[in-house]
Amino acid sequence: MQQDLGPNVALLAMQQGIADRLAGRVSPDIAALVGELGTAAAARGLPIDPLIQKAIEGSAKGIPFERVATAVRLVAMQLDTAAGALRNGGLAADTAAIAAGAFAITAGLSGRDIAQLARSGAPVPEVTVGLRVAGTLVALGVPPFETVTLVTATLQSGRPAGELLALPGQVQAQMAKGVAPAQAAAGLARAAAAQGRRGPPPARPQPPPHPEPPPRP
Amino acid sequence: MSERDFHPLVKQLLDGDITIADLPAELRAQGEEALRLLAAVDRSSVELPAVPERVMRALVRAPRRSAARRLMERPWLLAPALAAAAALVIWLGRPEPVATPAAAIVTVRFVLTAPDAHDVTVAGTFNQWDSHATPLVRTGANGLWTATITLPAGQHQYAFVVDGARWVPDPAAPAVDDGFGRRNSVLTL
Repeated sequence: MQQDLGPNVALLAMQQGIADRLAGRVSPDIAALVGELGTAAAARGLPIDPLIQKAIEGSAKGIPFERVATAVRLVAMQLDTAAGALRNGGLAADTAAIAAGAFAITAGLSGRDIAQLARSGAPVPEVTVGLRVAGTLVALGVPPFETVTLVTATLQSGRPAGELLALPGQVQAQMAKGVAPAQAAAGLARAAAAQGRRGPPPARPQPPPHPEPPPRP
Repeated sequence: MSERDFHPLVKQLLDGDITIADLPAELRAQGEEALRLLAAVDRSSVELPAVPERVMRALVRAPRRSAARRLMERPWLLAPALAAAAALVIWLGRPEPVATPAAAIVTVRFVLTAPDAHDVTVAGTFNQWDSHATPLVRTGANGLWTATITLPAGQHQYAFVVDGARWVPDPAAPAVDDGFGRRNSVLTL
């Protein structure tokens, strides 16, 4: 009787890929654990890179096995939470968005916050950037409510998604003047919301057409 | 006036194929303006400004459009493009829209003040947490250590490693729990 070997081959390839990335960097016990968790995570559509990175980080820092194992398992849970939150927000997220969501959770956002950002109506790449920025804002000390309000308003303002990346620097600049992180974020959110109500800046008017040039000699 | 607005004959003028006298009268003002814009481009060499001690920021974001394609379409753009590239080097901390995040590369300078350190490196997700891969160089006598590297756009976590043993978060950057009782600095590009 013949069996479909496809899934088994893919599984072995996945495990081998993880083992190759971890070879010489972590202990065999950690490599085995990450191989197991990573294979299961990939089967659920989750990214495996955060698991590998956490294992390498723990080993590089000289952390004992048990603590590295706990941290890697925690990352796997955060990835699951982020994926579920993005689904709840109606977003068909890719692995980059899920990893960004897991980072935002690490920084202090909740699954509900992630879902709210996913419901902003922005495309997946913009939401991914938004999640990274949201995590960074929380790491700066901006409370989750103000963070989600600011990032959502910016996503919905019609401004280029890259402007999201400027938000942490803008908050830091305000903080350097003595403004509290929450206040700084709230002010920026009001500005973004006002921009959203006005709509994106209009396109520049085009000049009148010129006559066709004469043929070149 | 943007580059798209120039009349084809004006583009020939900028290419050097014709002179201003060859232009029809109604296009001479536009041609003179284009020449004036081109002449105004600063072609002098650019020096990076002194980096404040607390700075850890993006220096350059690679252009998202294909420069080669633009030059094929408008070869006369080459001269201002060279000057624009130089200007980008000092265009600090100005993120652009991320249409192709995987392709975007950002140059980042890491800075740490550690007067008593003998050796400082930076380790993070961008170098597989290798504490030997990215050394910082001591600059000056005030204990300032710096390293400039290129990173892909995205989110990175890192820490400084002082004297090969002490993991130190960047005091100028936001930080998150690393899961091991310490803090990782965060860099979002």
